[in-house]
Amino acid sequence: MNNKKSLLQRAAAAPHIVWSVLFIIAPLIFVIYYAFTDSEGKFTFENIANLSQPSYLEIFLRSVCFAFLATIICLVIAYPIAYFITKASPKTQKILIMLVMLPMWMNFLIRTYSWMALLEDSGIINTVLGFIGLGPIHMINTEGAVILGMVYNFLPYMILPIHSVLSKIDTRLLEAASDLGCNHFQVITKVVFPLSIPGIISGITMVFVPSISTFYISQKLGGGNFDLIGDTIERQFQTAYNYNLGAAMSFILMILIIISMTIMNKYADDDGGVII
Amino acid sequence: MKRKTAGNIYTVLVFIFLYMPIAVLILFSFNSSSSTGRFDGFSLRWYKELFSDAATLEALKNTLILAVLSAAIATVIGTLAAYGINKIKNKHLKNGITSVTNVPMMNPEIVTGISMMLLFVFVGGLVNSKTVLGFGTVLIAHVTFNLPYVILSVMPKFKQMDKHLPEAALDLGCTPVQSFLKVELPQILPGIISGFIMAFTLSLDDFVISYFTVGSGFETLPIRIYSMTKKRVTPDMYALSTLIFVAILVLLILSNISGDKEKKTLTLKQKKRRKIVLVSTFSVIAAITLGLFIGTSFAEVVTVNVYNWGEYISDGSEDEDGVASVDTNKEFEKYYSEYLSEQYGRKVKVKVNYTTYASNEDLYAKLKAGAGGYDVIIPSDYMIERLIKEELIQPIASREEITNVIKNYDYLLRAPSEGKTLTKEEAEIFQKPFYDNGDDVYSVMYTYGVIGIVYNADHVSEEDIGGWDLLWNEKYSGKILQFNNARDAFGTAMYKLGVNVNDPTAEQWQACLNELIKQKPIVQSYVMDEVFNKMESGEAWIAPYYVGDALSMIYQAEQRGINLDFYYPTDENGETVTNVFADAMCIPVDVSEEQKTHAIAYIDFMLSVDEKYGAPAIANAEYIYYASPNRLVYTNPDYLATLDGDEEIIYEPMSNINELFDKYAYRNLSSQNLSTLNSNWEALKVESSSFNGTIYVISAIIAAAIIGYIVFITVRKRHRRKLYWEQSPTVGTKKSSSDSSADSLSDTVTIAIKRSKSKKD
Amino acid sequence: MNEKKIIELKSVAKSFDGEIILDNIDLDVYEKEFITLLGPSGCGKTTTLRIIAGFVTPDNGDVMFDGVKINDVPPYKRSVNTVFQKYALFPHLNVYENIAFALRLNKVSEEEIYERVEEMLAMVNLRGFEKRDVNLLSGGQQQRVAIARALINKPRVLLLDEPLGALDLKLRKDMQNELKNIQRRTGITFIYVTHDQEEALSMSDTVVVMANGKIQQIGSPTDIYNEPQNAFVADFIGESNIIDGVMLDDYRVKFSGQEFKCLDKGFAKNEAIDAVIRPEDVDVVEPEKGMLCGIVDSVTFKGVHYEIIVTINNFKWMIQSTDYVAPSQKIGLYIEPDAIHIMKKSEFSDMFGDYSSFSDELEHLSDITEEEEERE
Repeated sequence: MNNKKSLLQRAAAAPHIVWSVLFIIAPLIFVIYYAFTDSEGKFTFENIANLSQPSYLEIFLRSVCFAFLATIICLVIAYPIAYFITKASPKTQKILIMLVMLPMWMNFLIRTYSWMALLEDSGIINTVLGFIGLGPIHMINTEGAVILGMVYNFLPYMILPIHSVLSKIDTRLLEAASDLGCNHFQVITKVVFPLSIPGIISGITMVFVPSISTFYISQKLGGGNFDLIGDTIERQFQTAYNYNLGAAMSFILMILIIISMTIMNKYADDDGGVII
Repeated sequence: MKRKTAGNIYTVLVFIFLYMPIAVLILFSFNSSSSTGRFDGFSLRWYKELFSDAATLEALKNTLILAVLSAAIATVIGTLAAYGINKIKNKHLKNGITSVTNVPMMNPEIVTGISMMLLFVFVGGLVNSKTVLGFGTVLIAHVTFNLPYVILSVMPKFKQMDKHLPEAALDLGCTPVQSFLKVELPQILPGIISGFIMAFTLSLDDFVISYFTVGSGFETLPIRIYSMTKKRVTPDMYALSTLIFVAILVLLILSNISGDKEKKTLTLKQKKRRKIVLVSTFSVIAAITLGLFIGTSFAEVVTVNVYNWGEYISDGSEDEDGVASVDTNKEFEKYYSEYLSEQYGRKVKVKVNYTTYASNEDLYAKLKAGAGGYDVIIPSDYMIERLIKEELIQPIASREEITNVIKNYDYLLRAPSEGKTLTKEEAEIFQKPFYDNGDDVYSVMYTYGVIGIVYNADHVSEEDIGGWDLLWNEKYSGKILQFNNARDAFGTAMYKLGVNVNDPTAEQWQACLNELIKQKPIVQSYVMDEVFNKMESGEAWIAPYYVGDALSMIYQAEQRGINLDFYYPTDENGETVTNVFADAMCIPVDVSEEQKTHAIAYIDFMLSVDEKYGAPAIANAEYIYYASPNRLVYTNPDYLATLDGDEEIIYEPMSNINELFDKYAYRNLSSQNLSTLNSNWEALKVESSSFNGTIYVISAIIAAAIIGYIVFITVRKRHRRKLYWEQSPTVGTKKSSSDSSADSLSDTVTIAIKRSKSKKD
Repeated sequence: MNEKKIIELKSVAKSFDGEIILDNIDLDVYEKEFITLLGPSGCGKTTTLRIIAGFVTPDNGDVMFDGVKINDVPPYKRSVNTVFQKYALFPHLNVYENIAFALRLNKVSEEEIYERVEEMLAMVNLRGFEKRDVNLLSGGQQQRVAIARALINKPRVLLLDEPLGALDLKLRKDMQNELKNIQRRTGITFIYVTHDQEEALSMSDTVVVMANGKIQQIGSPTDIYNEPQNAFVADFIGESNIIDGVMLDDYRVKFSGQEFKCLDKGFAKNEAIDAVIRPEDVDVVEPEKGMLCGIVDSVTFKGVHYEIIVTINNFKWMIQSTDYVAPSQKIGLYIEPDAIHIMKKSEFSDMFGDYSSFSDELEHLSDITEEEEERE
C-alpha cells in the first residue's frame, strides 16, 4: 500500500522525465549525430577535421579571446559597483538593483541596435565629439565595439550574483578582520574578495557562456567582420544549409564550455578558499 | 568621505553606460523623421504608427500567447516533477534527473536552439513532412528551457515543507486530496507563482531559441525586431520598447512602494489588497491572452502566409509628406474576404501573414529545415530553377490551364513598344522565362531588375565610378559594403574578372575567392537589408545592390540630405556587365489544395490593377521601384509619371530583356559548382580580414597574469602549509570536493532564482 | 589586583535613530581584571563593547586607553581584540589560517607563525585540528578557535561578546572555567558581555549591571548579589521577593503589615523603600511560629529544593525549601534580620517582585527579544 503510494508520488516526475529525454537528451544526441555524419548520413570525421583549418581555429581563438576579455571587463566593472551597492542603505540598494535589472527587460536586440546608432561614424557619440571639436573616432565594426556590446549586454549578469553574495557576507566577519588588524583595503582583499568567489564564479559563467556563443552582437556591432563561433553556427543553419558543419561546431563549443567550466570550478573548489 | 564620493561617481558612470542606449531609444521614439541617428523634432507619429502596425501588434500578441502557454505548461510539468523528484530516494537517479534538467540552463542558447531544430528536422524527415517547424515546435522549445527554472523555484518549497504537515492535516481529518489542496498547495504556491513568472518573462524575452525553432506564420516580437534590425528599424519599434520600458518601470515602482509597506507592518487588509492587485494583474494578462487566443482560433479566418524579401511590397507606410502608400496586403484581405464571404455565403475573415527574408539562400535554408507553412514565396530565377529541381515548389497549373487559374496572367504578356513588333518568344518572356519554361507553370513573375552600384556622390569622386572595381577601391576602405549572400557576392567578383557566372572553372573559382579575400579588409560589412540604413545614413558610401532598392535608398537618403547615386557597372569596353534577375511568386510543395486556392488568389491579386482595391500591381511598382512585368503597369501613364525619369534606369536598359536574361541571369548551378560556391563562401566568411594582434596580446597578458597569480597563490599556500600540513596529526577531514562542487552549482542556481525573483519584484 | 586603569569611558553617550542606547556611561577598567557587562538585551552592553573595540564611535564622551584618548583610532590600530558573538570565524580559512590571520598581516615569519599558532592551539586544546574546515567544527571548537585567533596578537584587552551564548549548558560550564583559566594565565584584561547572571557571577572580578543604557551597579559578584542597589539589580541577579515597605527607623522596617528587624540604616523616617528577601533565606515554619502566615498556592519540585509560592497579603512570595509542603496548606514564614536587604525606591520599583505571573513562558519571551536584537 505504502509502496504503491510512493510509487505513484514519484510518478509525478514522469512527464518531466519523458520530456527531458525527448527534448533535452535526444536533441543533444542529434547534435552529435550530425556532427559525425556527412550530408548523406554516413559516418565521418570530416566536419571536425574541417574545423581544424587555420581560419576556423582563428574563429575559436577570437571567440574565446573576445568572451574572455568581455568577462574580465565585466568583472572589473561589476565588482566595485556591486560592492558600492551593498554599502548603500537597504532602500537605496533595492532601487539600485532594480535599476541594474531594468535594462534586461528590454529586448536585447533593440538595445544592441541602439548602440549602432551611438557608435557609428556619423552616429551620436561622434556627433557630440564633433561639437566639442574632437575628430570622429571610428568605433563601429571594430573588435572594441563587439566586446563593448558583450560587456553592455551581460554586465547585469555579473553585477547581480556578486551583489547577492556580497550582501550575504556577515558584517561581523568584516569587523573581525578589522579587529584583527586589517585596514579597509586589507578587509576587502583578505576577507570580502575570497568570500565573494562563488558569486564571481557564477557571474563569470553567466557572462562567458552567452558571450562566446553570441552571433547577434558580432553581426551588428562588428559588421560581420569578426566571425565568432555563434555566427558560424548560425550561418550553417540559417543560410548555408550545412547542418553537419554547424553541429560539429556546436559540439566543439559545448566541449569548450564544459572544459572551461570544469577547470574553473575545480580551481574554485580547491583553491578559491585560500586566495588571501 | 572621499571614497564615498568616488564610489558615487563610479556608480553614476556605470548607470549612464547601462542606460545610454535606452535613452537614445526613447529619444528617437519621439523623432519626427524616420531617422534613428538624427533628431529632427518632437512628434508622437511613431506611437500612432505603432498602433496601426498590424504586424507588430500581431507579433506582440503571438509573443504573449507563447509566453503564457509555455509558462503554464512548464509550470504544471515542473511542479509535478519537483514533487516527484523530491520523493525519489535513490540519490544517483535524483542527481541524474536534476543534471539533465539543468542542461538547457547551462548550455549556450544557440546550442539548445540548434539541437532542437535538428531533432525537429529529423523527425520531420521521418514523417516526410515539409512543415515541421511552427508554433508547436517553438512552444516545445520554450517549455523545455522554462522547465529548469520552474523546477528550481518550486523544488526548495517542497524541501522546506515540514514533512509532518500533511500528516497533521490527515490527523485532523483531511482526505489526502484536501490535505494537498488546503495544506501543501498553499505552502508551495509562492514557488509555483515565482516559477511561472520567471518562465513567462524568459519566454517573453527569448530570441535565440525561437529563432532556430520557429516556422512561418508565427512571428514573435523578438524575431520581428531581429528581422527589422536587419534593415530599417522603424522608430515605431522604439516606441513599443519605450512603452514596454515605462510599463515595467511603473510596475516595479508600484511593487516597490507596496513592498516598503510590507516591511513595516503589513496589516491583513494591506496583505489582502496586495493579493488582489497581484491576482487581478494576472487575471488581466491571462484574460487578454486568452481573448486573443480565442479570437484567433475560433472565428473563421483564412490565413495566407506570404514569405517575401524585405522592403518588397507596398506596405502602407507614410512618406515624409505624410501621404500613406497603399497597404497591398490589407487590400487583399479586404478583397478576398469580400470574395469568400460571397462564395460561402457567410462572413469570412482573411489574414495575410507576411514575413520577410533577406536572401534566396535564407529562404532555401528555411524551406529545407521544414520551416514551411508558407503559401506564397517569392524567390529569384536561379533559386526557382533549383526549387523546381528539388521539388520544393509545386506547379500552379499546367501551361494550358494557367489563364483559367490565374485570371490576370495575360497581363504578363509583353507589350510591344511603339513601332515594334515582338516575336512570340519575346512576347512571352515574362510568362515563359528561362527558369520556368516547362509544361507546368511554377511561378508568376513579380518583378525583374538589375544589380548596380549605389554610391555616395558627396564622397565618391566621378572618375572612380563606372566599373566593378569601385568595390575594390582602397580609397574608400571601410566605406564599402558587399552582398551578404554567396551568389551575389561571388557574382561581383565574377563580373569584375569577366568570368562566366554560371559555370566557372576551378581556377576561376579560386581567382574569384582570392579577389573577394583581397576585398575583405576594405569592406565595412557584408549586408543584405542592412544596406538601406547604412547607405541612407551616410555610414557607408558604396554598395552593390538591386536597382529598385537602390532607387528607394536614393529617395530616402535625399530626405536626410545625403546625396546617393547609382550606376550599372560596365567593363572596359563600356558594355554593361551585371546580373539581370527576375523574382517570381511560387507555391511551396507542401501547401494543401485548399491553401493553394488562397495562394493563387493572392498571386492573382498581385497582378491586379483594380482601382477598387488600390491597384495593387501599380501600388507595388510605385513603392518598390523595380521593373514590373505587368503590361497594365508599365503602360500606365500615371505610374510612369510618378517615376519622374527613373524609367530610364528601371525600364530602358531592359528593352532587350530576352537577350539580357540569356546573357546575364544567374542559372541554377551544378551541384559541383554549388558546393564549390558554398565552401568558397564559407572560406571567405571565416577568412580573417584584419588580424588585429592587440586583442590577442591583451588576452594573453591578462590570462598570463591570472595564471601567474594562481601559481603564486598556490605556491604560497604550499609554503605556508609546509610547516603544519605534515607535522600535525590529522584529526579532521577536509570537506569532500564532490560536496563543494554541488554547492557551487546550487549557488549558481540560487543566484539565478534570486535574480529572477527580484526581477519579479 | 593591579590598580592601573587600562580603559576609561568618560560620560560616553550613543544613540541610534534618536533612540538613546548609552546614556552617559562612566566606566573604569583595570589591568588584568575580568570585568563583565551584565544586563538584559537592549541595555547597551554590546554597544559599550563595540565602542571600546572601535566599531562604534560615541556621540559624546571620551574613550581612553592607557590614558590616551582613542575615540578616532580605527579598530585595526587598537590593541584590543574581540571574540565575537557566534565567533565570526572566516569560513574560507581553515583552523590554522584563521588563527594565523593577524600574524600574516604583520608579515611575521612562517616559523614564528607556526610556533605561536601551535602554542595557541595547545592553550585551547585544539592541537591536531589545524587542517580542519572551521565550518565543520562543533560550537565549542569554533569558540576555542575564536579565542585563539583573538589572543594570538597578545592584545592588552580581550573583548568577549556573549561568547558562550550559542553553546549548550554543559559545554558552557566547561568553557567558563577554561576562559577563567586562560585569563589568569595570560593576565590579559577581559571585558565580557553576557545576559546570563550566573555566568557573570561565577567568572568575574567585577560585574557591571546595565539597564536602559545606564550602569545600575558596579561591584564584585558578592556585593552585587547581596547588596543590590535597586529593584532591577535585585531582580536581575538571582530570584528575589521585592516588597514595598516603609523604613520605620534605623534597623526597623515594616512590610506586609508586619514589623521586621533588619541590618540597614541611614534612611529617613517612614521613607518608602523596597525590601528584598531572597527565596532561599526564608524558613518555612509552623503557621503559629511564623512572622508571616499564608496559604501555599503551588509547589514545584526542582531537584535540590522545592519552589513554593505562597500568598500573603495579596503578594505572592517565592520560597525555596528542602522540606515538602502540600498545596493549600497554611504555613508560616520566618525571616532572619540579615536576610532582609533594604533599597531606596528607584525607577524600577513596582516593576518586579510579585511571582503571580511567574511562568516559564515569560522566560521564553525574553529569549525572543534577545534574538531580535542580535539580528540588527
